[in-house]
Parts: sequence; structure tokens; C-alpha cells
Amino acid sequence: MSQSAEVAADFKDALQDLKQNSRPEISNLTLIAKENTEYAQAISRELENHIRTTRPEWKLPALYVLDSIVKNVGTPYTVYLGRDLYRTFMNAYTLMDPGTRKAMEGLLKTWKQPVPESMDTRPVFSPEVTQDIENALIKFRTIANQGMPQKPPMQHNIPGRPMPNVPWRSTPTPPQNAGRYAAANDPRIRQPVPQAAPYGQYPPSSTPPVQSQPHAPFYPPQPKPIDVEGLKTSLSAVITSTQKEWAHTPGDQALPNKLNALFGLQQILNTQTLPPDQLQQVAKQIQNMSPPAPPAPPAPPAPFPPSTTVLPVSAPFPPSSVPPPFPNSSTPVDLAQLFAHARPPVPPVPTPTPPSIPPSLAEMLQRFSSGASSSAPPVSVSPFYSPPFSAAPPPVSVPAPPTPVAAPPINPAADLARILGQFSKPAAAPPAMPPQPAPLVHLPFQGSSTPAPAIDTQWLSNLLKTVPSVATQPTPISSQPMSRQVSANANNPNYVELTTASIKQPRPHLISKLYDAYPNICATCGRRFESTQEGRERKARHMDWHFKVKDPDVAKRGIHRSWYISEKEWIEYREVDEASPEQVAKAASGIATAPKKVAKDKYIHVPTDTALVNAPCPICQEKFEPQWHVEANDFVWMDAVKINSKIYHATCWEEYSRGSSLAAPSTPDSVLGKRKAEDNPGSGKKVRAY
Amino acid sequence: MVSLPGLHLTATALEPANPAETTQTRSQDLLPCSEYRFEVPFTRSLTIRLLSGTAEFFGTELAPSSTYAFTGTKGAVYTWRGCRLEIGGLAESEYTSEETQMSSYANAHFALEGLRDRSMQTGEPGPRVLVVGPENAGKTSVVRILTAYAVKSGRQPVVVNLDPRQGMLSVPGSFTAAAFSSIVDVEDGWGSSPISGPSPIPVKMPLVYHYGLASAEDGATFKPLVTRMALAVTSRLEEDVPSRQAGFIIDTPGSVSQGKGGDYDHIDHIISEFSVSVLFVLGSERLYSDLSRKYSSRSHDEAVAVIRLDKSGGCVDRDEAYMKQLRQAQIRAYFFGHGDHTLAPHSHMADYDELNIFRVFDPASDPNAAFRPGNDDDDIFGTSTTIYEKVKPSTMIQNSLLAITMASANEPQEVIRDTSIQGYIYVADVDDVKKKVRLLSPQPGQTPSNALILGSFPEDLPGLVS
Ligand SMILES: Nc1ncnc2c1ncn2[C@@H]1O[C@H](COP(=O)(O)OP(=O)(O)OP(=O)(O)O)[C@@H](O)[C@H]1O
Ligand SMILES: [Mg+2]
Ligand SMILES: [Zn+2]
Ligand SMILES: [Zn+2]
Repeated sequence: MSQSAEVAADFKDALQDLKQNSRPEISNLTLIAKENTEYAQAISRELENHIRTTRPEWKLPALYVLDSIVKNVGTPYTVYLGRDLYRTFMNAYTLMDPGTRKAMEGLLKTWKQPVPESMDTRPVFSPEVTQDIENALIKFRTIANQGMPQKPPMQHNIPGRPMPNVPWRSTPTPPQNAGRYAAANDPRIRQPVPQAAPYGQYPPSSTPPVQSQPHAPFYPPQPKPIDVEGLKTSLSAVITSTQKEWAHTPGDQALPNKLNALFGLQQILNTQTLPPDQLQQVAKQIQNMSPPAPPAPPAPPAPFPPSTTVLPVSAPFPPSSVPPPFPNSSTPVDLAQLFAHARPPVPPVPTPTPPSIPPSLAEMLQRFSSGASSSAPPVSVSPFYSPPFSAAPPPVSVPAPPTPVAAPPINPAADLARILGQFSKPAAAPPAMPPQPAPLVHLPFQGSSTPAPAIDTQWLSNLLKTVPSVATQPTPISSQPMSRQVSANANNPNYVELTTASIKQPRPHLISKLYDAYPNICATCGRRFESTQEGRERKARHMDWHFKVKDPDVAKRGIHRSWYISEKEWIEYREVDEASPEQVAKAASGIATAPKKVAKDKYIHVPTDTALVNAPCPICQEKFEPQWHVEANDFVWMDAVKINSKIYHATCWEEYSRGSSLAAPSTPDSVLGKRKAEDNPGSGKKVRAY
Repeated sequence: MVSLPGLHLTATALEPANPAETTQTRSQDLLPCSEYRFEVPFTRSLTIRLLSGTAEFFGTELAPSSTYAFTGTKGAVYTWRGCRLEIGGLAESEYTSEETQMSSYANAHFALEGLRDRSMQTGEPGPRVLVVGPENAGKTSVVRILTAYAVKSGRQPVVVNLDPRQGMLSVPGSFTAAAFSSIVDVEDGWGSSPISGPSPIPVKMPLVYHYGLASAEDGATFKPLVTRMALAVTSRLEEDVPSRQAGFIIDTPGSVSQGKGGDYDHIDHIISEFSVSVLFVLGSERLYSDLSRKYSSRSHDEAVAVIRLDKSGGCVDRDEAYMKQLRQAQIRAYFFGHGDHTLAPHSHMADYDELNIFRVFDPASDPNAAFRPGNDDDDIFGTSTTIYEKVKPSTMIQNSLLAITMASANEPQEVIRDTSIQGYIYVADVDDVKKKVRLLSPQPGQTPSNALILGSFPEDLPGLVS
């Protein structure tokens, strides 16, 4: 078992015993978390799992553990637990009795404030996290007041997570929740999703996606403009949660397709200015995908007969009517052609989507291109559900009619192509665009201000050229000796089997994992970051680091090559990421890491305060020499400590304080004593320091 | 012992780069999935800037606003999605190509990512990769691409170089291992080992052993050093979780793939010492079939996935003259830095008897080699007397590179052989009358009393300092 799994298991065991609000037990759990911050992710996951799965009456104590950890330990737990806090919190909340809910609301209130007596003025959890919950609670109460049962049944029914920047009322589509985050064994997901395609399979060119005509119903222009930045944030949130979901259920074939589509969308948002109506659509889609709602559809509220809820009404593609996803066409479709067809003028807004499951992006696009009116099933929606927000996902009174067979099969590449095609030339493209001449496709380019060279569809055909048609090359994989793991993974377009044949099959869709998954590029060095809050923080620290190393005086300092470290040091050495928060923590307080250092190995970052920079050690009156410290990635003063705003040699201070029986900064023989200086040949740890 | 810092410290300048040419730039559009291949001699400099789109150099992405300068480089800027480059200077040869193997190499990366994900879930070690193939098949390029992609995916792979002909984060003749958690340098091979000041690209922390011979076939020390390196890397991975999950990638010299008489003794040794789980065979059909026959049929727990990768059409044969210049450039960079990032080494005098020099037996040049016991038995890697010969300083050592081991001179030779090294010093001058040598050292301080290894490779480098 890995260390991380071991710690997590211990933590879990301790959690199992927590059945009441017991202070010692909660402190103990907090302590475990505090002492194992390197396993924070595993611990956080354990805690979330526990809160989700334990009996309702034991959830509150577990939430107190969460509360205690984030307040007493803080990062990285706030980060890990914050990510899914909405779900963790709302899941539990909906199952609680009113009294417990009050207690939870009390907790939430404190999370919006800084930790009492802390120097940090930031709230425990970021406002984005708490605001979502807050909004949901308001909705929840509203609905509860309208006569919802106070204690909903044991199903998980979390109100959809509202989009912070998208006006709720402006959406014609009621928010959706179930389904998107369904468990892997959720039949609604399994069936409707077409078999994942090996990349490069396209529908025969004879049945291009049907052009959709602009048609009713027409929705009046939205009163409030869409906030694009907010949209991007939400989109990255959806991407992150989808990625996470995918990490948990790698076998789920729908997710990679969805991810691909999302990345394409992200690229478009990042690089193009879309007309408002398109933005609206995008916003709606993102919104629909946003609520991390758990699987089971909740019991329906009164007006609906219970039986309807179990129907997979929302399945976008009822299994019976799904056309063979990949028509056995031996001639690969010219993608340029496909593009030409896939870029109809965008209809103002498609028909209202069937309520119970948010349509996938793919679905939405399909509707765009295949004539939404024909495929949108008439659905009777109770007026009850017209409020944009409801605690229970609205069931549908009639099973959705089969999707017309004319609908083109969904395929990740085609989806992406369609999205790209649709958005690449907003407001252009007359309805029935002839396939040739092949229109130019302006691929969005990332991280560049200069316009990209016009890349025509040739790049796609270029890709296509390399895509072997599976029809002509039947299953080369199975003939390979290494085909033991084909099973579930083989159908996952993101899984690359480790065989010679599999590696020869081009998978251009995977490249987005190297680029779009980290959309935020550092213009100085090319390192990429995620577009999440965490990614932005990492990038900020990274930029700080760039700034620091851009020292104009560097040349004067006479830099030289350092000695290599010894075998033992290397084995114990841990790489330092200039973008990681630990790095900053280390920099901020030499004290945090001080206990395991002997005095002369202590260092502080060279102060910026001019008085301090020039002040000698008050004890021996010698000045400090800046040295480059590899681990700190900064200039430091070695053998230095800061005490009461003065800087001393650590060794001087130690001697002095020992003599005057002051409490010396503790230098125990160290828990991690492996790295004591005497172990190192030569000049000890300084080997590395300069 | 006299220390004379600052004495004669100018590196002999190479022919100046052609400044006139660099002022003129041109733009070059690349279609998606194509690359711009170029060769720049050591006497010139070529600059490349990304104007739009995205592009990468052996897997490492070019930053949009940086100008990269290449000297003595053969390589390619590849783009997945099309880009426009601005190119300055004159290449010795340049062309664009749409026939690349990048799709396979990327797949190789994604396949390894699958194993890394599994490692995260199960706690078992990540992929342990070995790359073999004939000379100039693109092994090092593939290792770089896989490393760069892994880093980009947030991994921290360990890279092991067992090819003495080309150093990684060190000089030729060395074997190194380093964990990569930050981007791989674009201009400067694998980047830089730590220096005493800031570095615009984060430095890498290598573990370095000195081999001192040109070819793996030559020495009695190849296998023991592999064993030692494997031990160190394995120990590191036991505790270093991110590196254990990412696994490692081993680069090898072409010579281990020659397989005299169908015998891939060294490959076999590397596979067993490092518990290699994935073997990428570049280029050679025969090598692939030999190795897959041998390893794919192994029992489950020691199974090796043997994968054939095609050689990139961009690979160029590098003649001895180029390789020699490359070696010299690497040694120069060790002491004086690379490009604009100059380092200031120190020079000092040492008495003859301060130096404890152990010369590596080179069977290629040593007539006595034939009498030495064979080293077929993995457990007995020769005996003490056959590894090194202790030599007194003489004009013989002028212009040579000495590896400073971490072992004291009194240690048994096996210990000296197995220790990693602290760095290199260069013998700038030998005064046979005064019995003194002038040494160039990366940093000030005394001549170490440690055992110093003198190999026959890399060859002497006259005139490193003037
Ligand atoms: N796609 C490419 N375009 C241009 N040059 C390339 C390309 N791929 C590799 N090269 C160059 O070809 C040469 C040989 O490649 P590389 O060093 O990767 O081969 P190798 O198998 O490691 O060689 P060796 O056996 O000497 O170690 C190098 O100079 C490398 O930079
Ligand atoms: Mg090589
Ligand atoms: Zn950067
Ligand atoms: Zn002092």
C-alpha cells in the first residue's frame, strides 16, 4: 500500500468511530490531517466520502471535522475540500432535519469569514465556493416553503449550482441536474452514449449534418449581457469537474468526448468574440453542465406519478434508435466537407431542451445542425418547474420519443469539428453553403497576440490523412501480444494501449491534453497552467519567481557552477516547484522548516528593507553575504535568523541565547534527521547552497 | 597550495556568431503536424521566435514572446496546430517536413500516462522505460520528448543517461540521473545543473558518476556503474512519490544495441538492474524482433512491454567532427556556462602530490587489457587492481578533465568506482620542473584530496583557457 493510501486508511478508520460531536475525536482527526499535509488530497477525499456515505445523523460531526481542519490547518485542505464543497455540503444538507440544517448554516456562515484570530484576512473558503452554496440554500428554502417535504427522501437531490455570472431568469431552459455526473453504472448514461469512436471515423459524406433553419421559438434578446470572463471561469470549472469525474471513472466513454468538446469551446471563448446569442447558448450549456449532481433522480414531487421517474426519459439517444455510431464507411469523410455543412447560420436559440437531463454539448450541437425542431420532443413541463431553480430535478411526464434516425451520430471529432465550425465564423456563412470551396477555418491560437497564419482545412485533412480508417485496417490491436488489458480501456479514446500497433494509430484529439488542458501559458518560458483558481495562483507564484531571478546584478556576483550533490543527498533530495504554494510558505517563514535544520543551515531570504539589508549581525557585527540558494530559488543569507525584526547569525544567536538562557529556536536532533550536515562530504549542506 | 583566483579565466572564444545575419529575419509558416528542421553549426547562431500558434522543440513548448538562439544544434520545431515562426540567421540546412513520428511519440507518452495514473491509484511504481536503438536513431530526442510531455502533464520523471558520448546536465563521459519537475531547456540541451546564482530556467539536480570511456563495450565499469545507478534511482523512487509515479526513462548509447552475435548483454543488464517495464526500440527492425522475442514472453511479474517506434526522418547522422565539437561545447558550458549565462570558474595551482589521480583502464588502448579477468560475472566486476591505475601527474595529464569523486584516495578501487562525483576540474597547465599544476575549478577552494578519476574520454581539450 502506498504511504498515501495508508494515511488515508488510518484517517478513515478514525472517522468511522466518530458518531457524535466529540471534541477530542475531532481534534485527533484534525491532528492527523495536520501532520500529513502531504497526503492532504487523499485525506480530503476520505473525508468527503465519509460525509457522503455515512448515516445522516453522523454527517454533522464529520462536517465539524472538515470545519476544524480547514480552520486549523488551512491550505492545502481548503483547496482540496473547497473544490467539491458545494456537493459535499448540499448533499448532506438536503438529508438533514431542520435543526441540523441550522447548524450547517452556522458553519457556512463562519466559512465566509476569516479564521478568528488569524492574521489572514481572507475567508476560510473563497467567496466563489460559499456563494454557490448560499444561493442554493436560498432556492432550497424557497422551494421548501412552497410545500416541499422538509426532509426529502434519501436520494441525492442537490439544486443545480447556479452560475455566478449568468442571470438565472434569462435562461429559457430550466436548469438541469441529474445525469451529467451520474455514476458509471447509471443506465441513463451507459445506454444513450454512443460507442466511443476510434478517432477519425466520420459519418459518410452522403449524410452530412442537416442544415438547420432559423426557426421558432424565438427568444427575445437577453436582458443582461453575458459575462464572458465568468463564462470562462464556469467553463473551466466544468472542465475540471469533468476531468475529475473522468479520473474516477476512466472507463466512461462519454467523458473524453465531452472533454474534447469543452476544450474546443474553451479555445473559442479564449480567442474569439462571439455574438451575444451564441454566448447565450454557450452559457446555457455550461450552466446545464455545472451542477455536480449525484446520480439518482429524486422522487418526484406531487403532481407526477412516481413511475415516470425511473424512465430514462432524458436519454438523448434511446438505445433502440441510435443509429450505428460509425457507419461502416470505407471512405473517410472529407472533413472539410463536413465542416462546410457543420457551419450553418446559428439559429437564434434552439427549442427548449427536454428538461430532465441537461443535453450534452454534443447534443446541443447536433440539434443545431440537424434541425432542432424535428428532434426536440414535445415535452410537457409542469409550471412548477418553470422557476429556473428547483430542488428536485424535474421529471418528465412522457417518455421522450426516439431521436430521429436522421440525427448524425455523435463522435468526438465531429463534435469538436462542429463546434469549431459553428463558431469559427460567427455571423458569416449563408444557410446552404456549398461544400466547396472549402472555407478557411481559423483555428484559435493560444497565447499569441499576432494573428495566426490562415490555416485552412488542410490541417484537418492533414490530421485525417494520418488517421487510419478502422474499416480498412481491421483491429490491428488484437493481434498484438500485449493485448491483455484491452477490455474496458480499449474503447476509451483517451486510453492508449502500450503496443506497437496502438501507438501507431494517430489520436490527434489527445493533444488537447498537452495544450488546452492548461490554457494559461507563461509568455516568458512557455510553461502552462490550468485555468482554475489554483492554476492562476500557481502562475502568479511562477511569475514572481521569474521576476526574482531576473536580477540585473547577477553578472556582477560572479556566478559559478555548484558541486554536484552526493548520492545520499540526491536520494533524499526533493524537487522544488517554484509555482507550488509550499515554496512560498517556506520562503515566508524560515521558522516553519527551521526545526530540522542545524543553526548554520538556517537561512532567510535577503530582506528587501534597505535598513535591514545593510545592518550587520548585532552580535558579531559582521555583514551578511547574499548567496544563491537552490532549494529556496532565491538569494538568501545563510546562517541567519530573524528575531524581533533584527537579523542575527543563527549560530551567534544560538550561542547568545544559550548563554542568557533564553529559549533558543529549537533545534532538536530532528525527526527527519537524515539530512544532518555531517552526513555530507565536503562542506555539508552548503555543497548545494552555492 | 596557491590560489590565484581570477587568473587567466577567459574562455577561448569560439568564432564569433554571425551578428550581421541575425538582424535579418524572415517568417516561416508551418502547417499543423509538420516541423521545421534545421542544422546550425557551432560557428553560427540561428534565432527562432514564435509569432503565432503553438510550437515545440523536442516536446518543450516555445514561449510566445521569447527569442531562442541555437548554436551547434540539429533539431526541429514541431507544431501540432500550425504556427508562424520568425527565423533569424542562416542555417546550414533547413527544410520543413510533414512526415514526422510525433504522433507515435505522443501516443507513447499517453500510454505511459495511463501507467502513471494507475500508479497513482495503486501505489505500485510508475513506468520504467528504456530506450534503445542504433546510433542516431533519435533515442535522445525521444527521451527528451517523453520527458517534456511528462513534465507538461505535471509529472516528475527521472531521466537516466547511460550514454557517455553525450552528457546530460554534465560533461561527456559521465552517467547522470535527474528528476525533471520543471521545463526542459530549449537552447541548452537538457538544461543546467545548479549554479551559484539564479537561472532563468530552473536548474536540474543531477546525480553524476564518471565513466570515462567512449563506449559501453569498452569498460569493466559499465555494468557496475549501471548497478550503482539503478540502486540510487530505485532508492530515490521509494520515497519520492511524484517521481515514483512518473517512473524513469533511460537513454542509452547506440553501442549497446549492436548485439554482437545476437547478444544484448548490456541491455539485459540494464533491464534487470532497473526492473525495466517498457522497452522502446527505435528504428531497427531486427533489434526489435530480437528484443521482443526475448522479453515479451517473460512471466507476468517481470514482463517488459517491447514497443517499436519508427525513426524520425529528421534524424541526422552526426559525424565525429560534430560530436567532438559537441563534447567540447559541453565541457566549456560546465565551466563557463551557456549562451548569455556566463559562469566564472576559478583557477588555482596545486602541487603534484596533492593530486590523487586514478586512471581508468581503457581496453581499447591498453595492451594489458587482454590479461585482465573477464567481467562476465555480475557479482565480481573485476578486481581492485584492474579498474584503475594510480598515476602521478605529468605533462601527460595536461588539458585533461579530472572527475572529483566523493571517495577518499585510500578507499578500495571498487568504492572509488561506485561513488558519485562532486564535479570536474580541468588541468590547464603542468609545470614538470616545479611539480605544479594549474587547475581550472568551477569554484574557489582547495584542490580536493579525494580520489580523482582520469578517463580516456572525453579526449583532451587543449586551450579551454588561454
Ligand atoms: N525530427 C528531427 N528533426 C531534425 N533533427 C532531428 C530530429 N530528430 C532528431 N534530430 C537530430 O538528429 C540527431 C540524432 O538524434 P538523437 O541524438 O536523438 O539520436 P540518438 O539515437 O540519441 O543518437 P546517439 O546514438 O548518437 O545517441 C540529433 O542531432 C538530433 O538533434
Ligand atoms: Mg543519444
Ligand atoms: Zn515562465
Ligand atoms: Zn554574527
